[in-house]
Amino acid sequence: MIQDIITIIHDYWLLLLIGQYPNGPLGGLANTIILSLLAILLAFPVSILLALARLSKWRALRWPVTGLVYVTRGVPLLMLILWCYFLVPLWTGADVPSFLIMLVTLVVYEGAFLSEVVRAGIVSLGQGQMDAARALGHSHLSAMRFVILPQALYNMIPSMISTFVSTIKDTTLGYVINVPDLTFAASQVNNQLFTQPFQVFIILAAVYYVLCWSLTYVANSLERRIARRRAGPRRNARLATEAVPLKTLVEQP
Amino acid sequence: MTMPVSPLQDGQAIRLSDVCKSYGDYPVLRHINAEVGRGEVVVICGPSGSGKSTLIRTVNRLEEINSGSINFEGQNIHAPMRGRELNRLRSRIGFVFQSFNLFPHLSAVENVSMSPIRVKGVSADVARDKAIKLLDRVGLADKANSYPGQLSGGQQQRVAIARALAMEPPVMLFDEPTSALDPEMVGEVLSVMKSLAADGMTMLCVTHEMGFARDVADRIWFIDAGEILEMAPPKDFFQNPRHPRAQRFLSDLRH
Repeated sequence: MIQDIITIIHDYWLLLLIGQYPNGPLGGLANTIILSLLAILLAFPVSILLALARLSKWRALRWPVTGLVYVTRGVPLLMLILWCYFLVPLWTGADVPSFLIMLVTLVVYEGAFLSEVVRAGIVSLGQGQMDAARALGHSHLSAMRFVILPQALYNMIPSMISTFVSTIKDTTLGYVINVPDLTFAASQVNNQLFTQPFQVFIILAAVYYVLCWSLTYVANSLERRIARRRAGPRRNARLATEAVPLKTLVEQP
Repeated sequence: MTMPVSPLQDGQAIRLSDVCKSYGDYPVLRHINAEVGRGEVVVICGPSGSGKSTLIRTVNRLEEINSGSINFEGQNIHAPMRGRELNRLRSRIGFVFQSFNLFPHLSAVENVSMSPIRVKGVSADVARDKAIKLLDRVGLADKANSYPGQLSGGQQQRVAIARALAMEPPVMLFDEPTSALDPEMVGEVLSVMKSLAADGMTMLCVTHEMGFARDVADRIWFIDAGEILEMAPPKDFFQNPRHPRAQRFLSDLRH
């Protein structure tokens, strides 16, 4: 059993790492990481815009965006993927690569989730910060840019990493539209071996686990550091003894 | 209610005319008519829930009003206007909050210099020098690079006063600036406010510090249930309050 796993890794590590590249499209773990990184990097500005729109005083902006966020959060990701997969080519008439479709879907989906994190980060600062900035003559946008968002986004870093972890796990669903990622590569290996699904998929699980666990670890230590910094250095001594260990939510709500 | 006597100083800094505000059916401010002269120090006092904080927050339009007008530098600050115009007016009215509301992600000197740079377009070097001078004025030059989380409440409030002064406002509003402080820190904030008053700053202060009111105020407005019931120089107000509710308020304070 262990021997089987070692043999599989020995024979197929390159396929699992980069797919059929350079003879075919880039795939495997490399593609999983690229897809997740691109998705989170693009979802980040999208989430800020969505959050600002949801907090806007203009209903014409607030209501449709609120609707979009609710629908996106209330629909299974797989359904969104299938929607994009079948509808985008219908609209555009072009043959859109599955990687791109998966990326767009993830950006919308994670953007909607992150926007709630951003919104919570902004709201949790309280009205006082905005009042102080407005009283000094800042416009709403200027107050957001120089006072509210720097604080909200800094406090958000751990949640961002958690969402990144979710994104990595969500990329596995790209399998259904043939995105050549790590899951896809593992499935190819399984199809070739045919008799060792348990061994193949335990390798797959282990890789995802190590990746996601280490990111969660980073998120947790960052969260502790941020909590310490928020409390201010003078209060550190007291906090170190009283502090309850902070836990980062890994699962999306 | 008798109309207020005009202050002795030439000119008026702020004039409130028939200001009314209510939350739903509940009136918070009822027909407020009052004026603050240039260089005058007015202390607003009254029992809690009387509308003091709401009143002072309407002066720079952090709170909207239902009717009436508030004139500042010849303009009704509650008139429909462009956001930019309101921002310009607000930048000329300093505001000090009960809860300081310093920007915790910025050091003391950055708190003070940020708005001149971002709102007025002052260059970073000039704004920083000015900020250091202002911090020195409130006795905190050595804390310029400290973050709000590293400062005591009294120090934070003094930075907040320096931050408001950095915009060079002709008028300063104080909304219970010492109420959130430990007792031993009240004095340092009040002495900064006293020195501001001595320099001729126009000040409108909501405070429970009756010693400050007695020593520094030119006039006291006593407010209860959203109405200004008495306007008088501190000597008259403390020794000879005319309105029964002001009398009761003062006798409650002495207990």
